[in-house]
Amino acid sequence: MPIVNEGLQKEFEYVTRPGERKHIGETLDQADELMQEMAYALITGKHLEVDRLTREALDKGYTANRILDFGLLAGMAIVGVKFRDNIIFVPEVLVAARAMKAGMAHVEPILSAAGVEPKGTIIMGTVKGDLHDIGKNLCIMMLRGAGYTVHDLGVDTAPDEFVDAIDEYEAQLVGMSALLTTTMPNMGRTINAIEEAGLRDEVRVMVGGAPVTQEFADEMGADGYGQNAVECVDRANELIVLLEELRRS
Amino acid sequence: MNEPKQMTPKERVLNALAGKPVDRPPVSNPTSIATVELMDLVDAPFPEACRNPELNARLAVTGHTQLGFDSIQPYFSIIQESSALGCDMQWEQKDNWPTVRMSNPIWRGPEDVRIPPNFLEHPDNRAVTESIGMIRQEVGDDVPIIGKTMGPWTLAYHVFGVEPFLLATIDDPDEVMRSLHKLKEISVLFGQAQIDAGADALTFPDHATGDLVSGEYYRRFLLEIHQEMVERLNVPLILHICGKTVDRMPYIAQSGMAAFHFDSRNDPAEAIDAVDDGIRLVGNLNNPETLYARGPEEVRQEVYRALEAGVQLIAPECAIPLKTRLENLLEIPAAVQDWAAERMPG
Repeated sequence: MPIVNEGLQKEFEYVTRPGERKHIGETLDQADELMQEMAYALITGKHLEVDRLTREALDKGYTANRILDFGLLAGMAIVGVKFRDNIIFVPEVLVAARAMKAGMAHVEPILSAAGVEPKGTIIMGTVKGDLHDIGKNLCIMMLRGAGYTVHDLGVDTAPDEFVDAIDEYEAQLVGMSALLTTTMPNMGRTINAIEEAGLRDEVRVMVGGAPVTQEFADEMGADGYGQNAVECVDRANELIVLLEELRRS
Repeated sequence: MNEPKQMTPKERVLNALAGKPVDRPPVSNPTSIATVELMDLVDAPFPEACRNPELNARLAVTGHTQLGFDSIQPYFSIIQESSALGCDMQWEQKDNWPTVRMSNPIWRGPEDVRIPPNFLEHPDNRAVTESIGMIRQEVGDDVPIIGKTMGPWTLAYHVFGVEPFLLATIDDPDEVMRSLHKLKEISVLFGQAQIDAGADALTFPDHATGDLVSGEYYRRFLLEIHQEMVERLNVPLILHICGKTVDRMPYIAQSGMAAFHFDSRNDPAEAIDAVDDGIRLVGNLNNPETLYARGPEEVRQEVYRALEAGVQLIAPECAIPLKTRLENLLEIPAAVQDWAAERMPG
């Protein structure tokens, strides 16, 4: 059905890149009025509203996957676009994330109980010396929503803690975050530690954080860089496919 | 024929901050240029050099005596006041920056904000204020000491936690304003103590960065408070905000601060246009990719680029990575002097 929620119609106007407009538009076309209302409540950070709408949807017999795809993630996709394009900033993303969590609190247990096979296993942490975790936490939330099992190593994560976690969780992807220019070099040190442990071929490494650039990621020897949480999911999807192809060959 | 007068570093820095003529652009240090190599050179390692006045002074002066920077910065980190307020600290070792564990905030809202009665006597604050006196004795009056006092927005991250504070800006903006007005008194108290100890100017970090909040946030929550800080702290203030800030520079130019210390993610020419002569600019040499990872030639190119754009004081964009090589730091004053010889003859 077309977008009937007026607020959501206006929010969709912020999505201007043709590919994204097509992709998000097709998702919203499959969202009924209730899912559209949920997506709009999420975008505007109304967590109590999202909580109520999620319970209502489940009571009405909506599947957890339907709520996740057409209510929560559809809204979060628009949040990601607005954040990337500097239309909104971190406080607005945080209230949207809080709303997403309110919905996920009802949906996640159902998905877990159904035993849905995860897309892959990721370990993710903020590098040594850096205690900032907002960006990392947003990435983890988006990755879990996209179907990955993510083990959060927290902040101030030393290179050997990343190495140990690769073994412990049999991770395929390693995500590293840094907010400070003073701690960014610890990304390179962590990649070196993974190499020295003989695990570099087993995993793909992606990095991000406000001061991190594609150029810096390349110099450090990372396999992928994401500018924001939406791109983080895109990189994970690409890297997991590459890794599986590599293993098959 | 009159020879152009060669200025002392202090005249050079203070003139540049005031927008007056200089014999050459100063090489400044609003945040920190402490490195592991410098710590080893004078046997003043982190974290002790952040906490002991004598070690602090010994490390701080190396920026001038060993590297040739025009100013001295005795406050290396951004956490001294927060330690004195009782924040949960992680002091780290020589090669890592001390930090506040912001996931364990000490306060929840404005009603919790209180300045301990012995705040200025806390050893981590005295490490800075006493160091200023020692530095002055060692280098005399011709070298400027730039102190540093955290602004209320940065203090709010430390005492409330980044995420709860940013959420509060949407959930209850009036409460956030009340918190900022209470926290600004800490900025004034510690800033004035450094002025009394002999600081010639103060860096005022207040991290309302474009990586986290909009330019409108700066106008709405901070502009008036910063104007008030200029009235109350009677030395030149250098506002420091990391990250992308061009969108808020027109507001920052209205703050009355002497200068704005800006990040390499802002093009220097664009920054000059954005502030439109309303404030001097300090910066903006890239830390992770240029100063840390590249060589002197790339450093030189970046110094020239900033000077050609019209940046008035040259400096690294922020506190530098602790393992930055000295040869890259030495290249900064060398490049500035060469540029001045080429472009400011006679």
